[in-house]
Amino acid sequence: MTVPGPDTDLEACAREPIRIPGAIQPHGALLVIAETDRRLLQCSDNAADLLGISLPQGDAPPPVEALGDPRFAADVDTWLAGSDPFFRASAQVTAGHARAGVLPADGAPSGGSPGGSLGAAPPNAGPAGSAAPDAGASRRYQVLGHRTRQGVILEFEPEDPRDRETLDSLYPRLQRFLQTIDSTSDLRVVSHAAAVEVRRLTGFNRVLIYRFDETWNGTVIAEDGDGVLPSYLDLRFPASDIPAQARELYRLNRLRLIPDADYRPVAIRPSTSPVDGTALDLSFATLRSVSPVHLEYMRNMETAASMSVSIVIDGQLWGLISCHHRTPRRVSPPVRSACDFVGQFLAQHIGARQRMEEAAQRIALKRIETGLLARLARADSFQQGLLDNAEAWLSFAEAQGAAVVTPDGVMAAGRTPDGEQIRQLVEWLQAHSGGPVFATDSLAAQFPPAAAYADVASGVLAISVSRLHASYVMWFRPELVRTVTWGGDPRKPEPSAADPGARLSPRTSFARWRQLVKQRAIPWRRAEIDGAADFRNAILEFVLRRAEERAELTDELQRSNKELESFSYSVSHDLRAPFRHIVGYAELLGEYAGSLDDRARHYLGSIVEAALAAGRLVDDLLNFSQLNRTALALSQVDMRKLVAEARRSLAADMEGRTVEWQVGALPPAWGDPALLRQAVLNLLQNAVKYTRGREPAVISVSGEERDGETVFAVRDNGIGFDMTYVGKLFGVFQRLHRAEDFEGTGIGLALTKRVIERHGGWIRAEGEVDRGATFTFALPKPERET
Amino acid sequence: MPDLRPLLLVEDNPKDLELTLAALAKCQLANEIVVARDGVEALDYVYSRGQFGNRDPGDPAVVLLDLKLPKVDGLEVLAAIKGDAARRHIPVVMLTSSREERDLVRSYDLGVNAFVVKPVDFGAFFEAIQDLGMFWAVLNEPAPGRVQANDPWRPRRWQGD
Repeated sequence: MTVPGPDTDLEACAREPIRIPGAIQPHGALLVIAETDRRLLQCSDNAADLLGISLPQGDAPPPVEALGDPRFAADVDTWLAGSDPFFRASAQVTAGHARAGVLPADGAPSGGSPGGSLGAAPPNAGPAGSAAPDAGASRRYQVLGHRTRQGVILEFEPEDPRDRETLDSLYPRLQRFLQTIDSTSDLRVVSHAAAVEVRRLTGFNRVLIYRFDETWNGTVIAEDGDGVLPSYLDLRFPASDIPAQARELYRLNRLRLIPDADYRPVAIRPSTSPVDGTALDLSFATLRSVSPVHLEYMRNMETAASMSVSIVIDGQLWGLISCHHRTPRRVSPPVRSACDFVGQFLAQHIGARQRMEEAAQRIALKRIETGLLARLARADSFQQGLLDNAEAWLSFAEAQGAAVVTPDGVMAAGRTPDGEQIRQLVEWLQAHSGGPVFATDSLAAQFPPAAAYADVASGVLAISVSRLHASYVMWFRPELVRTVTWGGDPRKPEPSAADPGARLSPRTSFARWRQLVKQRAIPWRRAEIDGAADFRNAILEFVLRRAEERAELTDELQRSNKELESFSYSVSHDLRAPFRHIVGYAELLGEYAGSLDDRARHYLGSIVEAALAAGRLVDDLLNFSQLNRTALALSQVDMRKLVAEARRSLAADMEGRTVEWQVGALPPAWGDPALLRQAVLNLLQNAVKYTRGREPAVISVSGEERDGETVFAVRDNGIGFDMTYVGKLFGVFQRLHRAEDFEGTGIGLALTKRVIERHGGWIRAEGEVDRGATFTFALPKPERET
Repeated sequence: MPDLRPLLLVEDNPKDLELTLAALAKCQLANEIVVARDGVEALDYVYSRGQFGNRDPGDPAVVLLDLKLPKVDGLEVLAAIKGDAARRHIPVVMLTSSREERDLVRSYDLGVNAFVVKPVDFGAFFEAIQDLGMFWAVLNEPAPGRVQANDPWRPRRWQGD
C-alpha cells in the first residue's frame, strides 16, 4: 500500500509527527514567505541549489522577485491579493540571479500556463531528485502555493521538458474516460475504469482502488497493473496499515506522492517558524517528507515509488486510488491534478450511486414501515401488533428474528435467543448502549455471553421504546461465516529485521492470509438503522397516543360512572315507590273488602308477594351497585362478633328448626366492618336457607391465619349444588334452584363476592348435590404497619 | 296530655299521600293533619305565609317530610327549619324512598330528628307511620328548642323489610 502504518503500535504511530516532519522530499524545493511583505521566513536546504535562495537573506530582494521571473512574481501578487487558498503557476528561474542580486532584465518567457491546472506529463517522466541547475542557467518550475498561519508555502518542482509534450492529449483522454462511465455503471466497473485511467496517465506498475469498511480495514476492489508488482485484488488490509491521523490527513489533502522511497530528506531551516516558534505544518504540502515507518513499509512491499489520491465522499474518506511502481517514478503536477480529477469523479459517481441506492432502500423501508404502522394502529398494543404482523416486522430490517421486550415480558418472532438470554441482553443494552438506537453486526465482540447464540443473533438492531423502563424492539441477524483474504496476517506484528525495537516497524509480509470470520452477521445498512430510528419515533408516538386514549377513556368512564350513579339514585327513589304502592293498596283492599273468598285472598296475597319481591330486588341491586362506589373503611374486625350478630339476625329464619352451629376460634380479619357483616350474613343466610329440611342442620364456621391472608370457611350439610354450575354461582341473578323451593333474588352471593374482591381477597365454593356446600373466602392481611 | 298541635305532612306523590294518610288514620289521632304538596307550601305553613297566611299561630307538633319534592326539595326545607333559631326546635322526620347513604348523611348533617326509609312492605310502613305519629303527636311533650336527653327519637335510621 502507499500508506504508512505499523501494525505493532498504533498509538506510537499516532504520535508520529507526520504533519510536521521538519523536512521535505528532495524532488523539489520549498519556501515560506510572509504574506504581508513577501520576505523569506523559512526554506528547504536545497533552495539554495535549486533556486539560488537561502537564509539569511541579508540585502537580497524578496525571494519571489529574486527568482527573476516578473510574470511569476505578478501571478503571486495577484493570488495573494485574492482569497484563493491555493495557487498554481510556473516560474522560469534563473539560478544565481538571486545571489547576484541582479533583477532580471530580459523577463524570460514563461512557456507554462500560470494558474492552469492541466499540464501535460508523459507517463515515463524520469526519476525524481533533480540535480542543481548550472549556475546562470534558466530552468522552468511548476510552483504550488498555499496559505498557512505560519506563512505562504511555495513548493517548486522542476518541470521536465517532456511534461508539455502531451499537454494536449490529457484533456481529450479524460473526456473519453468520462464517456465510458454512465450513471448506471456498477461500482466495480467504474472503479476498474478509474484504475485503468490513472495507470494510463501515470505509467505506474500497479493502480489499486482501495475501499475502507466501517472499521477502517481496507479491501482492494479494483486493480490495473502490468504484472511487475503482485496483484492485490480482493485482499483486505487491516486498519492499522493506515492510522487514524494519516487517514485524517488524506481526507484534508487528497494527494500524496513519494517518487523515491530511498530519498534523503531535505531539512527546512530554521527548524521552527519565526511566526509562532513551532515546527512548520506541512499538512497541505505535496513535498512533505513522510514517516520513515512508511518508507520501510514501501520497501517491504518492494515498491520504490507511490502515489495516492483520496476518494472523499460527503466529507468522509471512502477510499484511495493507490499507485505503486517498482522503481522510482515522478509524476508531474498536471498529471497529478488529472488523477485527482479522476478520483473526484469516482467519488461523485460512487456518492451519487450510494445516495440513489439509499433512497431506494429508504423508500422500500418506508413502505414496509407505513404498512406495519397502519396495522399497529388497529392493535391493542404495539407489542401485540408487531407479533400479529411478524412477517412485516422481520422484513422491515431483513432480519430472521425479532423480539419486543417490555416490563410485561419478552415476545419474540422468528429465530431469536431464548427469553432469558434476551433479558440479559436488554440489561446489558441498558447499561452500555448510549443512544436510542443500537446496531452491531458482531454482538459477541461487544457482549461475550452472546457467543452462545451467535448462530441466531450475531447481528442486533435494537431501539429503546420507553424513557421510563427497559423496553426495546429488536431485530436479530444470524451469523454468516465468511472467508476474508488478508494481505498478510493482520494479527502478527513482525519486528523489523533492520532495526528491531528502535522504532516503529511496519510488517514485512504481504502474503495472502485467509481468515474465517465468525460471529458476524451481514451489517445493518445505514437506511435500516435510520429506518429503525424512525420506527422508534412512530412507536413512541403510538404509545403516547394510546396513553391519551386511555386517559380519555378513563374520563369517559368517570362520566358514565357518574351517570350510572345518578341513574341508580333515581331508581332507588322512583322504582321502589310503585312497588310500595301496589303492596299498600293491595293490603288496603284486603281490609276494605272484608268478605273476600279464599281465591280472591290468594290472588291478593300473590300481588303483595310479587311486589315485595320486586322491591327487594331493587334494594339488592342498589346495594350491589353501591358497593362499587363507596370507599372501604378498613379496620380490624372481630369475626366472632360478626358471626354472632349474623346468627342473631337469622333467628327468625331458623324458627322451628334445629340448627347445630359449630363456630371455631375465628381470627380477626382486616376490612370494612359494614361490608364484611353483609358478606358473612349472606353466607350464613344461604347456609340456613339451603339446609332447610335437614334435621339437624349443621353449619360450621372456621377460620385460620395463613401467610399474608386470613381464610374463613362456612360449611353446611344442605342440598349442596352441582359443581358443573359453580361458575354461575357468583353471578348476578344466577340461581341454581327453583324460586318456589328457595326464595331470594340471586344477588346475595354476587354481592358477597364483590365485597371480598373489593378487599383484594378471593372466594370459592365447593359442593355436591345433597351433600352440602362449603364457601371459603380469604382476606389479605394489612401491610405491616409501622 | 296529648299535644293537639297539627302534624305537617309534606308529600308530593298522591299515592304515598293517600297511603300515609290511611296509616295515620289508623292511629286515630286527634291532631289535625296539614298537607303540603311541595317544599314551598311546607315553608309557607311553617312561616304562616301564602295560603297559610291566616292559619292559627303555633308550630306543628312534627313535620313528616318527603325527601324528593318539587320546587324546594326536602333537604332544603330541612335546612331552612334547622337553620332558623326560632324554628329549629320543630321535630322533623325525613320520609324517603331512598336508601342512598348520602341522603341520610346530609339529613343528619342538617339536624334531622329521624330518618325513615319507606318500606316496600306496607305493613311495616303502617307501623312506622303509626309509631311516628303516636310518638310526636301523643307521647312527646312539647319541648321547644331542644330534644329531651332520654329521647328515644334521637336520630337513628329506620329501615323496614
